[in-house]
Amino acid sequence: MKKWYSIATMVVITAMVFGMASAPKPAQAAEKPIIIKVGTPTPLSGPAGPWGQIGIAPSEAWLALFNKEGFKVGGKTYNFQIVRADDKNTPEGGTAAAKKLIYEDKCKFIVSHWSWNFPSVSAVANQAKVIYLTRTGNEAVPGGVYDPKKQPYTVFANPSHEEFISDLFAIAEAFPNYKRIGINDSTIGKGVGWDYVDRECDKAGLRYHHEWYPPGTQDFTPYLTRYKEAGCDIIYGAGDVMAAMLVTKQRWEMGLKTWRTGTSGGILNPMMYISVCGMEASQGFMGQYFANWDFKKTKVDPKKIKRCQEVMKIVSKQQGTPYTYTAWIGWFPHHIEILAQAMQRAGTVDDPDAIMAAIRGGTFDTTIGKFTFSGAKTYGSPIVFGTPGCMSQIKGTKEVYLSEHPLAALP
Amino acid sequence: MPPAAIWVDGLIQSCIYMTMAFGMVLVFSILGILNWAHGQFYMLGAIAVYYAVTAAGISFPVSILLTGLLIAGLGIMVKKGIIDRVQGDLYVGVATISLIFFFEGAANMVVGMEDRGLSMVLIGVLDLGPFSVSYQKLAVLVFTLVVMISMYIVLNRTKIGLAIRAAAQQPVAASLYGISVERLSLVVMGIGCGLAAMAGGIMAPIYPINPFMGGIPMIMSLLAIVIGGIGSLTGAIVGGLILGFLNSVIAYYLSYFSEVVLFALVIFILLVRPQGLFGAALK
Repeated sequence: MKKWYSIATMVVITAMVFGMASAPKPAQAAEKPIIIKVGTPTPLSGPAGPWGQIGIAPSEAWLALFNKEGFKVGGKTYNFQIVRADDKNTPEGGTAAAKKLIYEDKCKFIVSHWSWNFPSVSAVANQAKVIYLTRTGNEAVPGGVYDPKKQPYTVFANPSHEEFISDLFAIAEAFPNYKRIGINDSTIGKGVGWDYVDRECDKAGLRYHHEWYPPGTQDFTPYLTRYKEAGCDIIYGAGDVMAAMLVTKQRWEMGLKTWRTGTSGGILNPMMYISVCGMEASQGFMGQYFANWDFKKTKVDPKKIKRCQEVMKIVSKQQGTPYTYTAWIGWFPHHIEILAQAMQRAGTVDDPDAIMAAIRGGTFDTTIGKFTFSGAKTYGSPIVFGTPGCMSQIKGTKEVYLSEHPLAALP
Repeated sequence: MPPAAIWVDGLIQSCIYMTMAFGMVLVFSILGILNWAHGQFYMLGAIAVYYAVTAAGISFPVSILLTGLLIAGLGIMVKKGIIDRVQGDLYVGVATISLIFFFEGAANMVVGMEDRGLSMVLIGVLDLGPFSVSYQKLAVLVFTLVVMISMYIVLNRTKIGLAIRAAAQQPVAASLYGISVERLSLVVMGIGCGLAAMAGGIMAPIYPINPFMGGIPMIMSLLAIVIGGIGSLTGAIVGGLILGFLNSVIAYYLSYFSEVVLFALVIFILLVRPQGLFGAALK
């Protein structure tokens, strides 16, 4: 009896062991995602530092949420890891940062770049066959240093001049009775890219007047007087926050209180403008707006909107104050979505040529909408993305939706 | 003829260049060095006034005075701790250039890079028909007048002023008459840095406050000194006036070419009159 009892016990134990071994594994728990490093050269110090710093927390929070799901290529799950390097917004800083990210940190891709050192970063990235997602600019259009044949790994995921044109249209649509828009930029920005802006504005019959000021200008009274004599009643700057604040404050001091002012680039923080320019002078100040939950013309996947809103809550909680800056939505997550989708279509995470083939002329669904890369229609480049062309304004102490003019590819 | 707004603007610009340049020249006339970190004392003054008003609730005028004293003390410490210990004009120059980055970096670490403002101080605009001017800018005008009159009285009607002028003209002879040039140079460094800090403080409601705000005023006051004459207090005032008006008027007529014209003017003055308009007036 004892013998039969032992045999039965052994059979049960054996069955249990085999049963456990053959039971289906919880797939997620066992499979560890493979990490892909992406590098971001960005100003973390110097006068442009605040622009680099302000996007760190939301990008990290968004990536953590994105990585929870990860993305699959060839049956394997992948996650991204972001590595930042201070490019100081200088040419030499750009080269050093790109080299560090590519050769020391072993980043396979460069994303979310916007500093004024496109030529430096593009040269290093293209030489290393590293796909590089960035913006356009004077230097990044024909006549600048950009050549689609020599820089095949450069992707213009944020076309700056086209965005600027969309901003002007959005402003003109918001204030149809405007007299003339004064376009305010420093001489650093003067270049061939503005020919595109002028041409499109002329074609659309937009009334505008350009003024250029030396970098570092603090006294805008002479320029505002020139705008006044040119019949302007709106001044829109090209991303120089300091200049935008000074123009906003000084036009108020000159008694030009009905003038509207603004600048491309997101409104960093309405309270900063109020603190520098004063509450009254800051009202109606306009900036680019990437709060995808407020878009009225551009359709964004509700899941992506929800994730961005969750990030805003997370960062607000982390900082202990409401986080209002939204421009991060149009950069890092937008670039990561393009990369992940291109990798899935290419069926590889390692072959830059196959991934670039998927990016060229492809349609991508990102945090700022679904756009198709222009396919050589713009700058001879097959890789220029669209943009929501959405504007906000300061109302009270808050930033609210103003208008929207989605970008169309420039011919 | 430029509109009235341009002349008013030129006058306000002149005021700030005069105050900054005056402090720089004062230091140069006694110490024989250009304090390249003068703009950073301006920046520290603006930041100190910002926190005195917003965090400590001290009134704006009192904040400027207290900041002037505080930064004067810092200037004296820099003189004693660094400038006196470095041998040779070149190395002193390098040391003060290093201080630019030190103060900018330190301010960056302590208060961060974000722009701040004191727009809540002296709110309002005075409408005078053809032009308007803010009370904040009028305060700059009044401040400059007060500083210039005070400095005139100190330099011409007090013993210390007499000592400063004597030491600036003949340091050896002055020391033979019992003037401690060493102690005097500390006082002058304090006054120079204090003036820069107060200039930063009075400008705090007008321009954004950040760790990098000192660079442009420093360059402009240096240009004012070159135009007026290095070492001349009268030259600093006249140079500041010329520069302020030129800057506004030329920018009005020539837009961004104003910078080229201004620097061309400085080079022209250096070529035809290297000592500036009032060069070596004290010596």
